Amino acid sequence: MTSIEDFMRRLPNDVGGQPSPAFQRVDHELKPWEKRCHALADVLDFHKIISTEEKRRGVEALGTEMIGRLGYYERWLTAFAVILFQKGLLTPTQLAERMAVVESRFRADPAPDPAAA
Amino acid sequence: MHEHGPGESRPHDEITETGPPDYFDVLETALEELLTERNLIRPGEVRHQIDVLDSRTPALGAKVIARAWVDAEFRARLLADGRGTCEELGITFYDDTGLIVLENTATVHNLVVCTLCSCYPRPVLGLPPDWYKQKPYRARAVVEPRALLAEFGTIIPDEVEIRVTDSTSALRFLVLPRRPEGTDDFTEEQLAALVTRDAMIGVVPVTAGKDGSGA
Amino acid sequence: MAEQPPESARTLIEVVPALGEVAPLRPGDPVRVVIRFPLGHYRVPLYLRGKTGTVERLVTPAIDNEEEGFGRNAGDRRYYYRIVFPMTEIWTDYAGPPHDNLRIEVFETWLESARHA
Repeated sequence: MTSIEDFMRRLPNDVGGQPSPAFQRVDHELKPWEKRCHALADVLDFHKIISTEEKRRGVEALGTEMIGRLGYYERWLTAFAVILFQKGLLTPTQLAERMAVVESRFRADPAPDPAAA
Repeated sequence: MHEHGPGESRPHDEITETGPPDYFDVLETALEELLTERNLIRPGEVRHQIDVLDSRTPALGAKVIARAWVDAEFRARLLADGRGTCEELGITFYDDTGLIVLENTATVHNLVVCTLCSCYPRPVLGLPPDWYKQKPYRARAVVEPRALLAEFGTIIPDEVEIRVTDSTSALRFLVLPRRPEGTDDFTEEQLAALVTRDAMIGVVPVTAGKDGSGA
Repeated sequence: MAEQPPESARTLIEVVPALGEVAPLRPGDPVRVVIRFPLGHYRVPLYLRGKTGTVERLVTPAIDNEEEGFGRNAGDRRYYYRIVFPMTEIWTDYAGPPHDNLRIEVFETWLESARHA
């Protein structure tokens, strides 16, 4: 079997029995956006806008390099964006424009008084 | 605690003085705003789900395990119908997942993994630890469970059968650990205090505190 | 002439079950995971392809998650089965006693009877 066949046949997340780095018993407290991402994933699943299975498929479709470089919830958010484009629910331009707006808002007001919200 | 949602200010402690906004913080916020404006999700829905997630911790699973140790009928129901029996205790399942409870005995040790992603019994245990989601645990649990367990300090004698469950569908799995020796006079609450998240994944046993207090 | 079964055991003969609604496999049946390599999405790890095990129990019928991954969320369902595989069947060089085993849910379309193997 050629290596290109092996590459095509194994999804990036299918790791059972594969060589791996040393095991480390690591954990971290979720950042607020990570927690929001997890909750958003649940809500998208409840509405069947993006089901859990579509999310898994969308993450696999990011490819080996992006899966390797991105963190767990970073992969989810990237997959959500692409799936929403595919479904015609958002366009790439709409998201890019909104991200620019959000980013400038965060820069202008990096640590606002929560009480003023 | 409520996290901020679209259009809300971010709390002080979220960012550093110097760094630019986190790319994915921006992406998440933009997605949530656009979805809400288009009525695809409702205002406050993500925030409510955060509260749901925050309410689910290993303490819930520990209550289930302790009840199973003191109530044989509950234990039998739990092994026959994991989800329905957890629901008896008021633990709702906020998703479409089922639950199978796997009983450890003197001759069987269960270990749970998800090699394809990170399936985990979130309604009863909360969110999984990072090591459960990362490649080394997922890669090795199905091929060398005994060596992996040894790295947790768990040595399983060869006479004991290891059952590795690879979770791949809408079923989730909770390990019912063995009740430790010397806990006959413990109350249900004292027993629950002994039960750890990792014991309910199947990577460590439940042990009683040296002084018998369960600490 | 055949004796009529008791009322409680009779089924309505005019009812036609949906495709896949009647499970063809039973607990104890020997089964083999078929060898195929879907592109894009699958939920049967590569390490199981071609391996022989035994049905432990039936799991609730569900939509084929390979299709669910691409957006299908209703329609005909088939069974998942929880299958037991000896570790020594999966890994020829397994470093542990022969009674160690792996249990996993496998969708019906991935299983063939191994009774006459």
